[in-house]
Amino acid sequence: MDLSLDDTQKLIQESARDFVRSDCNRDVLLALDRKPGGMMDGLWQKMAGLGWTGMALPEEFGGTGNSMTDVAVLFEELGTGPVPLPLFSSAILGARTLLETATDAQKKAWLPEVASGDRVLALAVTEAQYGWRPEQIRLTARKDGADYRLTGSKLFVHDAAGATDLLVLVRAESGAGLSLLRVAARAPGVAVRTLDGFLTGISEVTFEDVRVAGDDLVGTAGRAWEGLRRAMLPAIPVLCAYKVGGCKAVFDMSVEYSRERSQFGQPIGRFQRVQDHVIHIVNYLDAARWTTYEALWKLDSGVDAACSVHMAKSVASESYMRACDFGHEVHAGIGVVREYGLTLHTKMSRSLYHLLGAPKLHRKYMESALGLVPA
Amino acid sequence: MDFAVEDSPEQSAFRVEVRGWLAKNVPASIEHPADAVDLSFEQYQMRRALGRGLGERGWLYPTMPTEYGGGDLPVEKTFILYDEMARIGLSLPPYYDAGGRMAAPTILVWGNDEHKKRFLPPICRGEVRTWQLLSEPSAGSDLAGVKTTAIRDGDAYVVNGQKVFVGSAHGADYSWTIVVTDPKGERHKNLSWLMIPMDLPGISVVPMDLLTAGGEGASGCGVKNSVFFDDVRVPAENLVGGENNGWRVATTHLEVEHGGVGRLADRRIVYEFIDWCRERRDGHAIVDDPAARSELVEMFVEAEITRLFALRNHWLSHTDQPRSYEGAQYSLRRKLSGLDMAEKMLRIAGPYVLTKDERWGPLRGAVEYFQRDAITALHPGATTDIQRVVISRRIGIGRREREKAGVLR
Ligand SMILES: Cc1cc2nc3c(=O)[nH]c(=O)nc-3n(C[C@H](O)[C@H](O)[C@H](O)COP(=O)(O)OP(=O)(O)OC[C@H]3O[C@@H](n4cnc5c(N)ncnc54)[C@H](O)[C@@H]3O)c2cc1C
Repeated sequence: MDLSLDDTQKLIQESARDFVRSDCNRDVLLALDRKPGGMMDGLWQKMAGLGWTGMALPEEFGGTGNSMTDVAVLFEELGTGPVPLPLFSSAILGARTLLETATDAQKKAWLPEVASGDRVLALAVTEAQYGWRPEQIRLTARKDGADYRLTGSKLFVHDAAGATDLLVLVRAESGAGLSLLRVAARAPGVAVRTLDGFLTGISEVTFEDVRVAGDDLVGTAGRAWEGLRRAMLPAIPVLCAYKVGGCKAVFDMSVEYSRERSQFGQPIGRFQRVQDHVIHIVNYLDAARWTTYEALWKLDSGVDAACSVHMAKSVASESYMRACDFGHEVHAGIGVVREYGLTLHTKMSRSLYHLLGAPKLHRKYMESALGLVPA
Repeated sequence: MDFAVEDSPEQSAFRVEVRGWLAKNVPASIEHPADAVDLSFEQYQMRRALGRGLGERGWLYPTMPTEYGGGDLPVEKTFILYDEMARIGLSLPPYYDAGGRMAAPTILVWGNDEHKKRFLPPICRGEVRTWQLLSEPSAGSDLAGVKTTAIRDGDAYVVNGQKVFVGSAHGADYSWTIVVTDPKGERHKNLSWLMIPMDLPGISVVPMDLLTAGGEGASGCGVKNSVFFDDVRVPAENLVGGENNGWRVATTHLEVEHGGVGRLADRRIVYEFIDWCRERRDGHAIVDDPAARSELVEMFVEAEITRLFALRNHWLSHTDQPRSYEGAQYSLRRKLSGLDMAEKMLRIAGPYVLTKDERWGPLRGAVEYFQRDAITALHPGATTDIQRVVISRRIGIGRREREKAGVLR
């Protein structure tokens, strides 16, 4: 047993840390936060230049074929920012979805551009009847000769604002199963509206009689769900690693603040009540970390990882949110001042809580994985 | 025991009177933004006018003595007032007046006759709006560590320093302010309270950008500010409660702020959220899900416990009975259950609760505001940790003597 990072992973960690420190410092992130719609072009180019857009793709499609653990190490660092998530949506979730669902020709046509960062994907799954189960997908593509016509909407879509291509999960007209359509984000009739509130990078996407070419049906009609599930399995713990990074940042901020801030003539870290808050944070951090990395290890070593993945998702989502809550307890007033930066995490922890399924759903999956309910 | 579900004949006559007056005097164009940051100056003025109308009848500060512009109403009637206001989505006062709410009862205890006559009637009649200025960059929980000085110079105190996290949008007439009047004095024996007119030269107000500025709906703050005092000359007669006696005065102020006087209309959002979950949208209702239902029940239970704590505190304080830990207990419970409810809402209703989007945000953005405000609300008045310290001392653990609650009238 060895729970340390290998040399490649240490290098990835190093360069990601550098990036967050010098290109994505707090001022940059606050500016991004004020500008709805996600990622500034310069940052995206820089991340692509570092090869991050191709990490989760095999070499034959222009990627570097890294292990999921490698990718997670990167995302843990990005989570400390928190650096907005288009990289996850495109290079991990989107890329893996195409890898699992697209035809060979489509993969050849699209994936190298995803790996280079020129094509930016966003996955549009959820709808007004919100949820991540297949029966909750209602949007239906109507067949029109060789093409499809799409009218309706997707809700709470992550990172659509900066995407070039939307991967839209629809009900196949025949009624049997789900299909995936590639829709150009700038196609006539597509509108992306970023939602305002205590969330970030999340939009409503509406389709007004949008024409989708038959060639843009990804893979086989009616067969998208299985592929999507296979894609989500490794993507989920990468997202979890990002949340681990978030917990880590909140922990670091809280420790530092409890050393620096004095009240009643002593550092607040001396007060047992403040210590209790920090201990909660470190417990959330470590619970998220080790459930996540064990799931990644299982995935990378080909062991059945489903139960671990569901557990990691459920633990990391709750941990990130509650670590932020306790971070606020430690900081009191200064923590709710936006320029301080803690609220970037608070907002991110809420924004990501439901992405790829809320803890409640993943605990349900665990019930099956643990054989607690009849199959 | 009587939880007064039914009005006596006299009380129901009062209810009819209040309801009738409100029907006539609350403008139809009054808006109820979820976040007071969206309250326009015109809307604020409308609420102030309503406040003056209520004030004329002694209904703005209904428990204050009539000689100072209050209503001197018995506890049952104040209930009816709060209740009738809540029925049309308003609180009492119908705008942010924390300074008035804290200063008035404190001045009643600690002010001299002159102070009471000069400061209380304008507050109670709604003629002025008052902020409360306590916190400073280096003094939050440690209130006794404030550094803003007020040095006597002839007929005035000259004030210098900075307050943070104070006030609201749209300005104030007065600031009820704790200052150091004896910079060399012993801790707790160097403080005083000043009623500072906000139009004096040398005061500047700089808004802060916060997750929320706190408070509920249109009676919230909208924004919080830093207030800078630069050689501000405050008339010496505006010092209330005796020079260097400010710590004792503060205990009364804090007793009010920590919830010692209770609060009647509370946690509206929970009851409204439950109703929203009952609504059927596109054939589905959140309450169809048994897991959601049981979380809703838990939310309801918490809201009710908090409501009953507040009710008890209101009854205790307005019937002049001894209190000890109850104020801080209510406040702590409210803070912790607020955070827990926000999380429950997120679990029950999904990401909808995070948006104030016109189309998708529940309850016109009030739920989204609550998601943010449940976090901010952990801190004002006293942090949850400090509330626990207060409760422990009042119960009498950790120290030989029980600490007493701050004096209220
Ligand atoms: C929305 C909002 C509105 C506000 N409105 C006003 C207002 O109108 N007027 C005003 O004057 N102020 C106002 N405040 C300020 C508020 O009173 C302070 O934020 C609060 O008292 C805490 O002080 P602090 O933020 O400096 O935190 P600190 O006192 O620095 O606390 C930091 C941490 O140390 C802990 N701690 C400190 N001392 C102890 C101790 N002895 N034992 C255990 N733990 C301890 C705290 O619990 C907290 O976890 C407002 C604040 C907010 C956020």
